[in-house]
Amino acid sequence: MSTVRVMWQAVLLQLALSRRNPEHALILLIAPMQTTTMLALTVTAHRPDVVANAVLAPGLIGLWVAALDYAGRIVPEDRWAGRLTSMIAAPAALGPVVAGRVAMVVLVGAAAFAESWTVAALGFGRVVTVADPALFVVAVAVTCFATVGTATLLSAVLVVSRARDVLQNSLGYPFYILGGILVPVAALPGWLHPFSRVVFLSWSAELLRDAVHGDAHGWPGSAGAVLGLGAASMAAGLWLTRHYVNRSRREGTVGFA
Amino acid sequence: MEPAVHTSGLGRVYKRGRKDPVVALDDLTLTIERNEIHGLLGPNGAGKTTLVKILSTVLLPSEGSARVLGHDVAAETRAVRSLVGLVLGGDRGLYDRLSARRNLLFWGALYKLDARTTRDRADALLERVGLAERADDRVERFSRGMRQRLHLARGLLHEPRVLFLDEPTSGLDPVAAGAFRRLVLDLRAEGRTFLLATHDMDEATALCDRVTLIDRGRMLLTGDTGQAGRFLGDRECVDFTHPDPALADALALLPDVTDVERQDGTAWRAHTPDRGATRRVLGWLLDRDVLTARRGEPTLEEVYLRTVGDRGMRV
Repeated sequence: MSTVRVMWQAVLLQLALSRRNPEHALILLIAPMQTTTMLALTVTAHRPDVVANAVLAPGLIGLWVAALDYAGRIVPEDRWAGRLTSMIAAPAALGPVVAGRVAMVVLVGAAAFAESWTVAALGFGRVVTVADPALFVVAVAVTCFATVGTATLLSAVLVVSRARDVLQNSLGYPFYILGGILVPVAALPGWLHPFSRVVFLSWSAELLRDAVHGDAHGWPGSAGAVLGLGAASMAAGLWLTRHYVNRSRREGTVGFA
Repeated sequence: MEPAVHTSGLGRVYKRGRKDPVVALDDLTLTIERNEIHGLLGPNGAGKTTLVKILSTVLLPSEGSARVLGHDVAAETRAVRSLVGLVLGGDRGLYDRLSARRNLLFWGALYKLDARTTRDRADALLERVGLAERADDRVERFSRGMRQRLHLARGLLHEPRVLFLDEPTSGLDPVAAGAFRRLVLDLRAEGRTFLLATHDMDEATALCDRVTLIDRGRMLLTGDTGQAGRFLGDRECVDFTHPDPALADALALLPDVTDVERQDGTAWRAHTPDRGATRRVLGWLLDRDVLTARRGEPTLEEVYLRTVGDRGMRV
């Protein structure tokens, strides 16, 4: 129960920090531009069948960018600011703090879905209707959960890595491809499919498209895959964060002298 | 009853790749009794912060052991963390863009306090450290003294029985430092134990029951603060005032005097090897119409300077 409370307080902390300094909300400025580019391509190519893809993609990219960008910064920033020492001296584990703070950022990123819908309607006169709203809500919810789990893992990986910036910058586009965000996984070469399937975004993108098209067939499997991959990432992220803390205590690198 | 803190043969080595490792603590054995304010003195790089970090579980020792209220800091981390509070000096360590209250609410969760308890304690502590009226102001608008008080409030949030203060009054003006010290004495009166790492000899003299001086990771001396002069052996001194420096020069030539140093303006201090010499020097001075003369003991600052004072700015 105390772990949940730690996560909740981390959400509130991030909410307060975001109100003071909403830099990670910049993604909400970029998402409409991405939507405009993608919709312009589909319109000029006379492909009304992929308009939904063009609207969903910026939403998923918004989630991923928000999580990836912020996940890599939380622990290093706390370390630079001299807060990490006091945090590690407290009984609560660091992992739930990271997860809670990322969760708040992911919720902000999720607003990119609403933005891309608005741009499509107001900018292009294309109102994308969701045939199965309940499934859509489920799809967004499980996608947000998996994004938080994956971001917690990425946070630990980026902190442990000595090439954080390089790694962080290179984790965008490959995941858009493997996640079937830009084009459905089915359109990718067959040898990429196994790699795609371990990226939760590929299941999320399918689930969201199915919800828009009203094709609910097989949704439990897709939703389960998103949840399972998200939970596995969360567990690995919490473990790796603990490993990082223990390593820092051993090597004396928790703070700066 | 277990002491508040006990270390035995405690050592910490920092590895530095291909460079020679740095020994930050070496075979340190130290006991701090319950309800004691213990000063940890030493120059920069002496190992004070390393010891504080090990005792607060932020750093693992390389050798030896350390126990806080009977719990091993390496093996019983969780138990130790709920018993100790860490208060670091300096401007950093807080969420500057958030209010004092918001900071405390977050740290309350890290100490696994429920929401109501955290709120109540945060309000009470902000009142106690004199920040109640600024509780909802951003920390970035706080002076250094106010930040320091907030650090202390954070360290007290979970009502720890042992507090580790690492240079808590560094950079504070004398009024703020004095208020901070009074607060520490009040908290000690409630039964808490303090380990105070500091460079400030006046602070150590004013607050600490006992002090330990370390340098290059090794303990040089430990004992009661009030008897600091004894750390220098039988060394005694005579404080006197006289306007003529020639008198001090003449005094320095006496066989009973090891050296004479100017304290301030017309104030001088003559060091003597033993009590008999002190008596003779006092008589010599009275025969020459000094304005005042009295037997004294070396201050803690003198002890510090004479013990580690040859290091200059080296670390």
